[in-house]
Amino acid sequence: MQTYVVVRRSAWPTLDEQREADLRSAFEAARMADDVECIRSYVLEESDRTLGSVCIFQASSPEAVRRHAAAADLPVGEIVKVVDTVLALPDPVSTTS
Amino acid sequence: MLPRVERRAVARHDDPVTMTQLTTRPELLEREDVLAALDEALADATGGRGRIVFVGGEAGVGKTALVRRFVESGVGDARVLNGGCDPLFTPRPLGPFVDIARATGGELDELVAAGAIPYRVAEALMAELSQSRPTVVVLEDLHWADEATLDVLRLLARQVGDSSVLAIVTYRDDELDNRHPLRVVLGSLSSVPAAGRLRVSPLSRSAVAELAEPCGADPDELYRLTSGNPFYVTEVLAGEATSLPETVRDAVLARAATLSSCALEVLEAVSTMPSGAEPWLLAALAGQTDRDLAECLGSGMLTESGSVVVFRHELARLAIEGSVTPERRALMHQRALAALQARSSSAVDPARLAHHADGAGDTDGVLRFAPLAAVQAASLGAHREAAAQYRRALRYADGLQLDERAALLERYSGECYLTDETDEAMEALRSAAAAYHELGDPLKEGATLGQLATILWCPGRGAEARHLGVEAATLLKALGPTAELARVYDQMAFLTRMNADYESAAVWSARARSTADAVEDAHAIEWTSGSQEVLRITTGSTDAIAAYEARADRARREGRVRTLVDILEALVLALLPHHGHTRSRGYVEEGLMLSRESGHDLAHLYYLAHQAGIALDLGRWDEATEVAEVVLGERFVSTFPRTLALVALSLVRARRGDPDVWHLLDRARDLSEPTGELPRIAPVAAARGEAAWLAGRHDTVAQETDSAYELASSGAAPWALGELAVVRRRAGIEDSLPERLPEPHAQVLAGRWREAASRWSALGYRYEAALALADGDTDAQREALEALTDLGAAPAAAIVGRRLRESGVRVPRGPRTTTKASPAGLTERETEVLALVAEGRQNAEIADRLVVSRRTVDHHVSAILRKLGAHTRGEAVANAAQLGLIQDR
Repeated sequence: MQTYVVVRRSAWPTLDEQREADLRSAFEAARMADDVECIRSYVLEESDRTLGSVCIFQASSPEAVRRHAAAADLPVGEIVKVVDTVLALPDPVSTTS
Repeated sequence: MLPRVERRAVARHDDPVTMTQLTTRPELLEREDVLAALDEALADATGGRGRIVFVGGEAGVGKTALVRRFVESGVGDARVLNGGCDPLFTPRPLGPFVDIARATGGELDELVAAGAIPYRVAEALMAELSQSRPTVVVLEDLHWADEATLDVLRLLARQVGDSSVLAIVTYRDDELDNRHPLRVVLGSLSSVPAAGRLRVSPLSRSAVAELAEPCGADPDELYRLTSGNPFYVTEVLAGEATSLPETVRDAVLARAATLSSCALEVLEAVSTMPSGAEPWLLAALAGQTDRDLAECLGSGMLTESGSVVVFRHELARLAIEGSVTPERRALMHQRALAALQARSSSAVDPARLAHHADGAGDTDGVLRFAPLAAVQAASLGAHREAAAQYRRALRYADGLQLDERAALLERYSGECYLTDETDEAMEALRSAAAAYHELGDPLKEGATLGQLATILWCPGRGAEARHLGVEAATLLKALGPTAELARVYDQMAFLTRMNADYESAAVWSARARSTADAVEDAHAIEWTSGSQEVLRITTGSTDAIAAYEARADRARREGRVRTLVDILEALVLALLPHHGHTRSRGYVEEGLMLSRESGHDLAHLYYLAHQAGIALDLGRWDEATEVAEVVLGERFVSTFPRTLALVALSLVRARRGDPDVWHLLDRARDLSEPTGELPRIAPVAAARGEAAWLAGRHDTVAQETDSAYELASSGAAPWALGELAVVRRRAGIEDSLPERLPEPHAQVLAGRWREAASRWSALGYRYEAALALADGDTDAQREALEALTDLGAAPAAAIVGRRLRESGVRVPRGPRTTTKASPAGLTERETEVLALVAEGRQNAEIADRLVVSRRTVDHHVSAILRKLGAHTRGEAVANAAQLGLIQDR
């Protein structure tokens, strides 16, 4: 397995739809556990008020990421391989504190 | 310590609960849905809309019992035909259809007996089934099927829709990994409307409790230990009152131990016969009386199936077989073999005899029957099985005469070659050549070395192969002209052609032809003249194509499938240097089907690799990826198809801007460079150049492509030369224009972007067409940007976007979403789900159809309901129809 950053810009018009997408993503990832694992996601507020996301995945290949996205009906903007991780601080619990 | 199921009720040790005391057959609990679905399928079939239903479930879940119940209670006056597969060491070719043919007799039986190829069998089967009465065909345990059976199955599935046939296929879904051939068949049938799947699930907790109740067993513990598998449940409940066996094996053995010693002997004898035992055979083997057999049947461990007795559960057979000492097992195999032979007529399957001879360690028997079984398997296109039978024979071949052993090795090698077991094929030929050398038979030695040379090319050892070919030719030449010498010359022509050394190829080819003429061997004249045509096609002659196609027509008419597979493959390879996709596509499609049917796995891999390449060029990138991954996932040795697949996969990734491009390209380079062969090296270099350019590393393009470009300048691989020249130009390398380039490349290089784009479009190369437009004016660039975005070609789109911005054009960023286009704001996938809901399909069915999880469909459906303001599916469909989202029904 290899770590990838998956970028989905301006993918959802509302937070509800983003949350539903999140659930679908989790279920498909559970089904494809040998090929894809979702590590964490950052939901983005885009300048046009739509929502996007940056997800960190472990996956067997870029195609596995695409298959997961197709199954869960998620758009894929860009898939980038991660070669190293530098942890400064753990993720804050909430970004709106 | 053994886990225990405590019984609340008092159960005395001398009064074990038996199956007959169970109020319900466990396998038939909670099966109403599946039975109803089968009823519905039968109603369809009776109405002339035939169906094939795949019934999957884990071992012991009760698939057989379910189908039996359906057949016994609900098929009315429909005819029922049964066939099944067995867990033989080596499967019986066409096993289930042999069973059916026996029952129907007629043409089908004749064809099967004569060893016809799968599509003829499928034809005859459909003819047999298309009689007026509805027919239920039950095919059991297809996870053990041989390749020939799966081919017939696939053809059956495609034709069944127009008949009055309900085919029910059972299989163990827990034994199918992703590469299992049946899984591949299931996948390929997912779009066939007549094909459907049903799953037989383990029992629920409450069903297990219902069963445990009368026996006084603890329901929770029973469920925990059995996970609701009816077989386990039955075994546990039927076992000794107070103890639960640690494993099924123990459960089975414990149950067998209650049998009389005579009955146990019968049980053990049957355990050596995975396909079942005829009562007469058991009489001969175990000296069984009807009483012993009745005892076994009464115990529920054995059951009657047609004319034979089989284990009710394969798990039980394995447990019993494993409990017999090796000496005793060998003795039983020996007796079975003797009994079958004593009875023998042509009716006894050689694979079955070979199985027992092997089990008995009977050298003469194996050497007699395994090669027969191999020939039978090979004639049915089951080459893996054939190779396995030869391998079995060779294990016993130490005492054979040298020439007999060498002949066996040659035949083994042939089967290995077809299934791309290249190492085994080479090793066998080496041993055979050494044997012929020792025997002082230079003719056979030379011929064997020639074959070895051809196989050596497969793993990329072309130089070594050519060397060996010359050695073989020298050896044979001393004997004067022979068909064998013509063959070796022809092999040299192939080897030099694949090295793009067309002058040498012409010389070898001419020698092959004149040798064939000299010996007046019609066969040799046929193929030597054929390869002369192939060489002309390779060097760009178009009239040779028609001549060679005529050969394909002839082979097609005469039903010579193997020859046709080879001819089509030669055509595709010969057109490869020119990327003649328009023609090649048809050849590849036909070749894919025929090579699969005839079990020519190696050719099949080539066709798949070509399919990936064509899909890449035509912008069908998902298909290219999928097919390339299949090729790369195969455990095979031939490196040419692998190289082509690596190029296709890495270019899709590079063009999409996906990561993990370079390790694929490095593997491709490592496979191609050592061969020194232009047709392998040039496409890899072009791909590496393109990937470097897309990544903005213009400075490395020269380094990636220099030596291949120089090699290709000979003109021997014009298409690759064109690709190389174009990518070098894009990276800013100024070469003098090479001559004889393919038209679209020449137009790109000459700056005639408009013509180039329309030429590319006409050829179907959407990506190349867009890139040609990107060299044009602002309007053309806008068009290019749109096309590239559509293709998902992010890096090239970024390059074009940059060019546009540099000329002051505002370019929108970000992906376009189709969501906003839909009136209710449904996503594409939601619209797709909605259409299936409108067809009245349930979520589980929709999940199967769309290859997503049930939960995801649940989510989609609730989103659809919400967006359409509906409370029920019916309301959603009605609202959607009003909005024009679906056709009003």
